[in-house]
Amino acid sequence: MGKEMERPLIQNVQYVNPISVRQNIATAEYCRTSVSALSGVTAGILGLTGLYGFAFYLICALSLFLGLVLKAGGRKSSSKQYFMARRQLLLNGQMGALFTYILFWTFLYGMVHVY
Amino acid sequence: MAEPELLLDSSIRFWVVLPIVFITFVFGIIRHYLSLLMTSEKTVSLEQVRDSQALIRCRNLRENGQYIPKQAFEMRKHYLLNKEGIITKGKEKPSQAKNPMTDPSMMTDMLKGNVLNVLPMIVIGGWIQWTFSGFVTTKVPFPLTIRFKPMLQRGIELEALDASWVSSASWYFLNVFGLRSMYSLILGENNAADQTRLMQDQMSGAAMAMQQDAQKAFKGEWEALQITPHQNALKHIEDIVCMTHILPEDLYTTEKIPSVQAATS
Repeated sequence: MGKEMERPLIQNVQYVNPISVRQNIATAEYCRTSVSALSGVTAGILGLTGLYGFAFYLICALSLFLGLVLKAGGRKSSSKQYFMARRQLLLNGQMGALFTYILFWTFLYGMVHVY
Repeated sequence: MAEPELLLDSSIRFWVVLPIVFITFVFGIIRHYLSLLMTSEKTVSLEQVRDSQALIRCRNLRENGQYIPKQAFEMRKHYLLNKEGIITKGKEKPSQAKNPMTDPSMMTDMLKGNVLNVLPMIVIGGWIQWTFSGFVTTKVPFPLTIRFKPMLQRGIELEALDASWVSSASWYFLNVFGLRSMYSLILGENNAADQTRLMQDQMSGAAMAMQQDAQKAFKGEWEALQITPHQNALKHIEDIVCMTHILPEDLYTTEKIPSVQAATS
């Protein structure tokens, strides 16, 4: 094998199964809903108000994102392998999660601190 | 964490706030099972299945053609694209794109969707507004501007009340939006209580999606395959395999490809 070998295409191809990727995203969605509900409950019981509550949500969402990335293997390439894009992991379905958070926050805040 | 300046009767909690949450939640679940009950089985005709399978076959050839020899690739390409090939035929077939207005079964499906999604929203919302009207139910724990007053304090006309107090109708809407993602947690991913399901349906279900416009899909596939050249991904594969000295027990591990990569790089 003295001759120069051109890089085989195999190395550049990514093997991604779209069904599994969708499954992964759905699982991440489950995590997000649970985390936003639980953090909403926590914020409500703690009685956070105003910007503190939103900051708390931001912290929770970010830590969930970090946790998911760590679970996916830490390195950028490995989380790409599971989720196609990292940004998707952070931004996907954030609106619904925020609504859930606000609902639980308001609910528990009302239960504990208003009445 | 200042105490709120308004003292609410605690029976409001038991007779207004909690019932609204309960009603919204249970109602979403009922709607899920109702729509399961009412959805008609979609029947797919033989022709639709044939079309979608042909398209899938064509796409597979385009995406994975690099792993078969050039001759085999050209053979398949010719088979699909010659004058009598299935893709060419499908391209020239007159499209019978169904107009949803003329197809009665589609019409009823749309109607059912509307009946199940929109109507109950209005009915339950109106009923809640009527039954629980005039209650200040709770307070959102963040300050809001005066613009939110008509949105959040429907049914309470108090000028001096801070905008973050919420009336019962608005509490219902807050529930509707907030519980939407909870349903997917409880009822599973493809539930009917969640409106985003429609988008997911469009993404999956190749045979179902075929119904819309077969001719256009065939045309796109035809053109795409026509311009696809054959690239051999397995060039020098014998050399690579010989270099790696793969043992038989390594051959069937899950990380087959990375081990090849590691050995070559």
